Amino acid sequence: MIATIAKKEMTEMFRDGRFRLASAVVAILLLASLAAGWKQYANLKNQHDTAQRAERTNWLGQKPKNPHQGAHYGVYAFKPKSQLSTVDTGVDPYVGVAVYLEAHKQNEFKFRPAQDAATSIQRFGELTAAVVLQVLIPLLIILLAFSTFAGEREQGTLRQLLSLGVERTHLSMGKALGVAGALAVVIVPATLIGVFALALTSGSGLLAVDVARTFLMVGAYSLYFLIFLALSLAVSAWSSSSRVALVVLLSFWIVNSLIATRAFSDLAGFLHPTPSEVEFDTTLQRDLADTKGLDAKLDEIKAGLFQKYGVNKLDDLPVNFRAISLQEAEEHGFTIFEKHFGNVFDRFEEQNAVYQWGGVIAPLLAVRSLSMGLAGTDFAHHRHFTTAAENYRRTIIKHMNDDIFIHPTKAGEEYVADAELWKKVPEFQYEAPGASWALSHYKTSIALLLLWLLSGTVVVAVASRRVQA
Amino acid sequence: MLGRIARHEARMLFSEKTPWLVLFLLGVSIGYAVLNGLEWTNFQRATLKNALDEQDQRYTNLKTQVAAIESGKMRAPFADPRMPDSVGGRLAWTYAAMPPSELSPLSIGQSDVLPYYFRVSTASKESVLTSNEIENPHRLLHGRFDLSFVIIYLFPLLIIALSYNLISAEQEQGTLALLLSQPIPLRTFMSGKIGLRAVLIVGVVILFSVIGIVIGGISLVSADVLARLTAWTGIVAAYAGFWFGTVLVVTSFGRPSATNAMALSAIWLLLVVVLPSAMNMAASVLYPMPSRVDMIAALRVASDEASAKGNKLLAKYYGDHPELVAVSDNQKALNDVAITRLAIDDEIEQRVRPVVDRYDIQLSQQQSLVDRFRIFSPAIIAQDALNDIAGTGVARYRHFISLAEDYHKRWRSLFALMIVKKQKFTPAMYDDLPQFVYQEERIDAVLSRTTAAAAVLFFFGGILVMIAIGRFRKFSVVS
Repeated sequence: MIATIAKKEMTEMFRDGRFRLASAVVAILLLASLAAGWKQYANLKNQHDTAQRAERTNWLGQKPKNPHQGAHYGVYAFKPKSQLSTVDTGVDPYVGVAVYLEAHKQNEFKFRPAQDAATSIQRFGELTAAVVLQVLIPLLIILLAFSTFAGEREQGTLRQLLSLGVERTHLSMGKALGVAGALAVVIVPATLIGVFALALTSGSGLLAVDVARTFLMVGAYSLYFLIFLALSLAVSAWSSSSRVALVVLLSFWIVNSLIATRAFSDLAGFLHPTPSEVEFDTTLQRDLADTKGLDAKLDEIKAGLFQKYGVNKLDDLPVNFRAISLQEAEEHGFTIFEKHFGNVFDRFEEQNAVYQWGGVIAPLLAVRSLSMGLAGTDFAHHRHFTTAAENYRRTIIKHMNDDIFIHPTKAGEEYVADAELWKKVPEFQYEAPGASWALSHYKTSIALLLLWLLSGTVVVAVASRRVQA
Repeated sequence: MLGRIARHEARMLFSEKTPWLVLFLLGVSIGYAVLNGLEWTNFQRATLKNALDEQDQRYTNLKTQVAAIESGKMRAPFADPRMPDSVGGRLAWTYAAMPPSELSPLSIGQSDVLPYYFRVSTASKESVLTSNEIENPHRLLHGRFDLSFVIIYLFPLLIIALSYNLISAEQEQGTLALLLSQPIPLRTFMSGKIGLRAVLIVGVVILFSVIGIVIGGISLVSADVLARLTAWTGIVAAYAGFWFGTVLVVTSFGRPSATNAMALSAIWLLLVVVLPSAMNMAASVLYPMPSRVDMIAALRVASDEASAKGNKLLAKYYGDHPELVAVSDNQKALNDVAITRLAIDDEIEQRVRPVVDRYDIQLSQQQSLVDRFRIFSPAIIAQDALNDIAGTGVARYRHFISLAEDYHKRWRSLFALMIVKKQKFTPAMYDDLPQFVYQEERIDAVLSRTTAAAAVLFFFGGILVMIAIGRFRKFSVVS
């Protein structure tokens, strides 16, 4: 029975010129946005890989010099593009592409792509596949489903249908299946093409990770579509006319996809304000300049070394004290940088938590957060990379200072290291975290999406049981 | 007659709950939007004030240090506050800032992505003319809930919500035939209905905005602010005109309310959401912005090679800057480490220039694509104009960049001279350093651009109204 109803619904939709037009437009936009995303990804991935290799060559090709100068020469770490950025570019345009790793200083990421591509329409946003999935497909679902019950009621066919003794729950399940089937015709081929394109670009090594993420992403969006399907059917069953159903659903769509996202983002800013860059820098410099603890510690170490080796001049030490003072100064910096950057980053995450909770009102906020997380293009992944880059900076510095340490020099002399030392520093390898790590940041979103679906289903069940001709 | 129709219509309209609800939501939205804008501009102002305080503090410290070193109380540090190379570079850099304009709270525009101040030193242009305000990238992605968002996105929806069933409701209630039995043409009825709504909606939006602005403490007395506010009102009215025209044309087909609602939402979606973002996509696919990754790589290579050449670059440098040779006392002065540094920086910049220029070229390609197709989306025209009026758009930013560039050049050549002359800084010289002064863009340039935008919008609105009037003349009650 359910299958028959579903089949009837689908046939009717395919006969409807408006549906054909709307789905064709959405399908084309989805494919075009996927293609554009794929092209960008392929381009950037190439550039980043080449640049990272070139950086390694630069590092290894340094002329013989003092290791500390090597630490100053430093390395650039380029943030790799994730495969799924094809679907959801997330915050990639708004975070820098690279960070300079050098002695004494944890730098901020530089060069936000959005600053370069600042055409006058930039802030309208880019039509990524994520936008099509989050904003346009729900609208298509509404258009497909708003008149399922209300329309039949207006035409008087609902009375006949119910007189046949069709179970009301079967009726709504059949209709839901019908809409879902029609929608699948639009989405499934695009998804398959997208997954296929992803598989083409990926190396075999990364495939294992990204399959999990891809499936989870498909799951997240399916959940989101089901929510809209349930809500549309429920409103259609409840409304007195299809006009009312349409107006109610469109209003919800507007709140969901337009108003809530900005309103909650700004609310998050009010609740958890971030310092300005000037303020950040001033306090950071002030803390860095306060070296009282550091100086005392260095004096203590110096005294200890003098005692241990029975000398009273730095020149007589069998180790290089400059290495100790350099390394200690770095460690003094590490904690300060960690504190200041950590503060700001924590603030960002608090803001994002507020935004996720906006999912109570608008499921888009939940699915958008989750989608970025799975695509690896959210702030959490950016922070993960930032931490990895900072750890690599510390590795470089440690190698350099350790080498200075075992090469004591007399006053006026300078120790010079060569390519052997540069080679000792391992190459920068970044491994993106797994899918479960990504999910763990979005428990709120997942819970809210499930809750929406659950309540949507309950409402459909109740509404369809009460449906009156 | 028109007045009587409008009065009757007003009575009808406000007997329902919907308009009151809509007005309430509009008021709340505008209030929140203005609040957000004010929050952002206050943040910017506070930041710039902090920056100036920080600079004062730094200069005071430097002056004390110079005095202490001169009197022998302190040993000169590595970055010597008396030496022009360290003063112009890492010690006494200044801020070049573009303060938000009085009306900036109305449209945040691109001001949250694009820098509004730079730290100017003798460093290269590429490193000076970049700065990043600390901002959650998620928030940059989501965009801001400001007044221009309410106007561009929500305002058309409001117009649609209040007038999509102008004729269809009468038709569905069966009152249309009664109405047309009066000796009054349909277009007069429609003018009354739509005129009332237009005056009401545009009036309310402008009134609420002005109330928000006044409460927010923006002073309205200066001629500049008044001119901008007038332009703002003009754009809002013209944009509303376009949407009322669209509503009229769609309703003139005499279709059921649901069909009208769907058609109007589809037009709105296409013009406001899909078209601009699709154009962004097209621009980035057709004229892809090279990643800065390339520039970093080029910069690395250039700086390695230039540093390796070292003072061999001096001859070339003096070729480029003959004015420096003239002021130096002797040959030895010309062969200084600090000057070699300048020569190396110059060389790096020259070598990286072609890579850097590609960004500007691609950007102008993208912008010209946008300019060619902007005519298809009133939302783009209006948004651009609103940003322009608020001073948060591309034009004012470019103006700022060119001022900052000039200032940076001036700063650099000043310090190059001082380095060559081997001048030593005294405390008093710190006070004489040139400070950046932001010269506001000429208001008539802004006004002529926005007038053009308003004219285009009014023109489209006018054509739509004409089409609708023509259709109403032939409108038939029986289908």
